Amino acid sequence: MSITAQGVRRYFGRVRAVDGIDLEARAGAVTALVGPNGSGKTTLLLVLAGLLRPDGGTVRVAGHDPAIGTSAREVTGWMPDTFGTWESLTAREVLTTVGAAYRLPAERATARAAELLDLVHLTQLADAPAHVLSRGQKQRLGLARALVNDPQVLLLDEPASGLDPRSRVDLRHLLRDLAAQGRTILVSSHVLAELDEMADDAVFISAGRTVSTQTVDAAASAVRPWRLRALDLTALTTWLEGSGLSWRAETEGFAVPTGVLVNLEGEAEAAALLRDVVSAGVPVTSLAPASGALESAYLALEEERR
Amino acid sequence: MSTVTWHGVRTIARLELRQRVRSTRWIVSLVVFGLVVAGVTALTWFAMRETTGGYLGEPAVGQTMFGFIVFFVLFLGMLVSPTLTATSINGDRNAGTLATLQVTLLSAAEIALGKLLAAWLASLAFLGVAVPSILWALGMGGTPGIALVTTLVLLAVMLAVVCAIGLGFSALTARTAGSAVLTYVSVASLTVLSLIVFGLSVPLVSGTETVRVEQEEWTEEFDPDTGEYTYDPGECVESEQEMYVAHTERTWWLLAINPFVIVADAMPTIEARDPYFGGDPMTAIKGAVRSTRLGPPDVYHYCSTQELTYEGWAEDPDDMGPVWPWGLGANLLLGSGGVMLAVRRLRIPQATLPKGTRVA
Repeated sequence: MSITAQGVRRYFGRVRAVDGIDLEARAGAVTALVGPNGSGKTTLLLVLAGLLRPDGGTVRVAGHDPAIGTSAREVTGWMPDTFGTWESLTAREVLTTVGAAYRLPAERATARAAELLDLVHLTQLADAPAHVLSRGQKQRLGLARALVNDPQVLLLDEPASGLDPRSRVDLRHLLRDLAAQGRTILVSSHVLAELDEMADDAVFISAGRTVSTQTVDAAASAVRPWRLRALDLTALTTWLEGSGLSWRAETEGFAVPTGVLVNLEGEAEAAALLRDVVSAGVPVTSLAPASGALESAYLALEEERR
Repeated sequence: MSTVTWHGVRTIARLELRQRVRSTRWIVSLVVFGLVVAGVTALTWFAMRETTGGYLGEPAVGQTMFGFIVFFVLFLGMLVSPTLTATSINGDRNAGTLATLQVTLLSAAEIALGKLLAAWLASLAFLGVAVPSILWALGMGGTPGIALVTTLVLLAVMLAVVCAIGLGFSALTARTAGSAVLTYVSVASLTVLSLIVFGLSVPLVSGTETVRVEQEEWTEEFDPDTGEYTYDPGECVESEQEMYVAHTERTWWLLAINPFVIVADAMPTIEARDPYFGGDPMTAIKGAVRSTRLGPPDVYHYCSTQELTYEGWAEDPDDMGPVWPWGLGANLLLGSGGVMLAVRRLRIPQATLPKGTRVA
């Protein structure tokens, strides 16, 4: 029930949208697909959803080739990055229509629609026409639509865009629950902070190629900058001079510098630093990762490529 | 792999109709359509009564009215139908609602046929609001009742063909404006352009030829006693003459593909009510097109002793076979071509994308 892609290529004329992507998304886990704009994330998801025929490579979705027959489509839920809604239909009708398109019997489709509306907290707006829904509400309806056929494999392209903070938290919980049920979830996003919290694995792609595959835990324990702040910056820098740590003053974007960035490898090293600096009598106020685990990994990769 | 189930087709058709019916403009356009047809019917009735009605009687008024109204409804229907399908696939693609349907278990054929069915039902609604006007014309007499059935069936089929052509173009082009223009150009080609080409091509298929003519040598005698002339036709003899003839049997198909010709030619009329009148538009078109198909006869019969058929020069009236099956066949081919193109373009996974489109 997993997704595997090996050496997938897809060109549009001379544009090599996807030019050799290897990817494995485990069942029961959330896999993040990370990459800059135009790196081929959406094209890859279109190939996985069975909408585009790859020019090369092999793709298996839950063991099926999405380019052949409907067996892969049957178990796949796909949420595109931009999509429209049938404007004059109500949210409930949108879902029952999709249910019918998955050949569910009418009563089953109605029941499923009610279930999903509840799941994405749209029950109150169930019978309002879709065009009155806000962007975030439409996004939630789009997610519900991708779940109509109770898919084993979920392909989500930027699912969090347009969502308010509450809905983002809901989305995270929902995706964790779905993964806990043994489903395979592949999420593309460039809002890396939120992927940190929901993803188990990450696949980094750039210019149509897989550049790195790692677990989020590994990314979190990699060397990355932590922000250390103190009431007395001079005392802090003096202490750091003697500590032998790699650090730099945080000057960009601050009127009065209040902290420094220290490169640390994992939380154990952070705990050790904190203990040392506090016992040295420096008035420390906070120590936290300066950026998310995936963001650091992503930026590190970008750095390497330069 | 392209399975077609009624459930699938109905799902799409319901989706399309729901979206269409819920826009208020839809009801307004139906009402306006009905009123325009009724208005034109009333004008036709008044005009016909004032002119031909005086000496030809009510049946002639009814006959002309019927033909005229049927043509008018066909004309309006062919204007409206392209709007129902010509943007239905590329419009959905641009709105981002097509791909989410394609990834479901619906087949490409079900999506295409569902869209066609919905558009056809919508165009039938336009036909429906015109039915009272057609019935009024029928009630004026002069038209056999069966003509109502055959005419409505043919009108419905022709509208389906236009819908199918529009569907095909909407699958072909990325921009909705492009497919709308192409659909209107196709409709214009079938109705007006083909007629113009036919007219302009007549000199190309015409020329002076030696033909056989059966003629009499008329003689006249003057009787000085009574002061009267007597005429004697003499014998009916065949001779060869040089004549300018048009071989329209090579170009008649340009007329046959015309939806107006198809409807006119297929309409049953009351036979030989007034062979010299033939005055209602339908009968006139029927006669003209059928004789066009025959082209020049083997032998021209100009003798007064020979039976004059309505068709003028047909040796055997049965030769004047109907042309509408040919035209209908050609139009159905065009329509199914449109549907097949739409099905092909809706299939996933797509290997190539039309220029300027995104999948989603």
